[in-house]
Amino acid sequence: MSRKKEKVNVNKKPLGMRIWNNRGFYLMFLPVFIFVLIMYYWPMLGIRYSFFVYKGRDIHWVGLQHFASMFSEPEFWIAFRNTLVISIVKLLLNTFVAVVISIFLNEMTSLFCKKFVQTVIYLPHFMSYAVVAAIFTLFLSTSSTGMINETLKSWGWIETSIDFLHSTKLWQPVFYIINLWKETGWGTVIFFATLSGISPDLYEAADIDGATRLQKMRYITLPALANTIIIVLILNIAKVLNIFEPVFVLYNNRVFEVSDVISTYVYRKTFMTSLPDYGYTTAVGLFKSVVGCLLMLGSNWASKKIRGRGII
Amino acid sequence: MAEINEKELTNSEAAKDAVEVKLEKKAEEAVIEKAVAVEPEAAAVEEDKDKKSVPKVNVIEAKRPKIKVFDIVNYAVFIILTLIIVLPIWKVVSDSFNAVGVYQFRLWPNQPTLGGYATIMTTSKLFRPLLNSFITTIAGTLLGLVMATLGGYVLNQYEMPGRSFFSYFLLVTMIFSGGMIPEYLVMKQLGLVDNMWILVLKHGMNVYNLVLMKNFFEGIPASLYEAAKLDGCSPMQIFYKIVLPLSKAALASIGLMFAVTVWNDYSTVQIYISSRDQANFQYMLRVMVMDGDTPTTSYKVSQSTLYYSGIVCAILPFMLAYPFLQKYFVTGVNVGAVKE
Repeated sequence: MSRKKEKVNVNKKPLGMRIWNNRGFYLMFLPVFIFVLIMYYWPMLGIRYSFFVYKGRDIHWVGLQHFASMFSEPEFWIAFRNTLVISIVKLLLNTFVAVVISIFLNEMTSLFCKKFVQTVIYLPHFMSYAVVAAIFTLFLSTSSTGMINETLKSWGWIETSIDFLHSTKLWQPVFYIINLWKETGWGTVIFFATLSGISPDLYEAADIDGATRLQKMRYITLPALANTIIIVLILNIAKVLNIFEPVFVLYNNRVFEVSDVISTYVYRKTFMTSLPDYGYTTAVGLFKSVVGCLLMLGSNWASKKIRGRGII
Repeated sequence: MAEINEKELTNSEAAKDAVEVKLEKKAEEAVIEKAVAVEPEAAAVEEDKDKKSVPKVNVIEAKRPKIKVFDIVNYAVFIILTLIIVLPIWKVVSDSFNAVGVYQFRLWPNQPTLGGYATIMTTSKLFRPLLNSFITTIAGTLLGLVMATLGGYVLNQYEMPGRSFFSYFLLVTMIFSGGMIPEYLVMKQLGLVDNMWILVLKHGMNVYNLVLMKNFFEGIPASLYEAAKLDGCSPMQIFYKIVLPLSKAALASIGLMFAVTVWNDYSTVQIYISSRDQANFQYMLRVMVMDGDTPTTSYKVSQSTLYYSGIVCAILPFMLAYPFLQKYFVTGVNVGAVKE
């Protein structure tokens, strides 16, 4: 409020004088400005290559040909479908489990145990995807050092080793479980922030009315979280197309049809091809950026509608 | 061999049982505590007021057994959950000290060795990436903090002409990007391909963290700025004499966010760097485990021991810092969450 008042007062001075008065701030912003210009805006100029063939030294205009070949390429559509399926299932699963965990952890009576569990479940978030992939690849390996297969065999649950990460049937479930292990705990942080804001009066009132523990969870805790759940979903739906690292570290050429996402498709077409056409992969990237941008604006709109405040 | 295995197994199981019993005891204690806490209150109510309050006490007492069942189930579930998180990590740590390849579900090394770690420290092919990881993490954190604080501070100057242009200038980068390939081509022109400084520059600017910083600065009372201005401080002087010393907590949590990002970054290396002496440790670990590109070692350790030692090295810095700095690890997110 006070700031707005100031603004009105300052506006009375001439523009040139105001700029001169703030010269120190412009100087401070200069490094940020130059950095962003080079690292973010310069690459945007490269988008023009989506309309060119760019193979080695051969660069020539082809118009919309890349987009035509992209949309008629079955591999691209597989990648597009996988991107949506993998990110959305992962998002819903992680959010659901995080909500359940936060509601039940909130019921824990001992503060020490609560803090302890929180500390532990946040841990895997600080490991990189490369590390998590390495751990689970080793655990799930079919060789004699693969702990999970050997344990299951020794318990007599299975006869032969299961190749979890190379089976098109099992890859996605295993991927979701690994992601649950890594990110669910961290996902509870935002729900805890909300839960700590619930007024204890509500629970006391429910106590007096004779509500049971489960009733209190169902009718007080869960509704309080509803808004946060929607916000988390909206925030993340904008980023569904960006998924790269989680998939890249776990996938392999035997499960492309269930694991290839747009970013890994772009990567593969560029860096694992002998003479890549940068033009084509830029076009795929542009498609991704545009859809991502629309999703972002859409969720910003939804967020404004629901909580009266945008996400950007 | 099998005997040892079994012994180890029973031992570890016994240990696990002991832990569970301990935790369950704790759970029961907590329940008792609660019951005790309820009773004095009830007693106080009885003393203070007349017979009206008696039915309320009865209700609480009648409900007590139900609460107990719920609590025990709840604690049991969370003990299992904690084990699900901790066991894989513990298994990795224990196997990194085990000289032979690892079979089955054993939670203690049966041939203890430090060979895996010694190999990493003495093989330049592995040590160099580890060093690169440290260098880039420190440099990336510093650069990121400088950019985020400068940007956040300037975006808070509401009377500055062009402020909203600057914020849109930054926000556009959050919504739209050139994409992987145009970025790669630009970095190639700048000579940053196959150069580990790409890791620093790639994470040097993070608009989300900049906005967090700006939100934090907004909480500093405006009167402090005005007082400093009256005393003749330039914007830069206000920045490093008043703003920065007041934001140590925010600097710590945002600095940690940068450090975690740079240290854990694998995909940037995968895309931009191909020579091994410019790679970071995450990349080297991945190459080692997935592609089986393991350096020869003079120590008598199996390959998987080396892998597990590598994993421990890759997570150790933050695992060590985490219990002490957990507050800072989590505040960054909470600042954002509260603002929402």
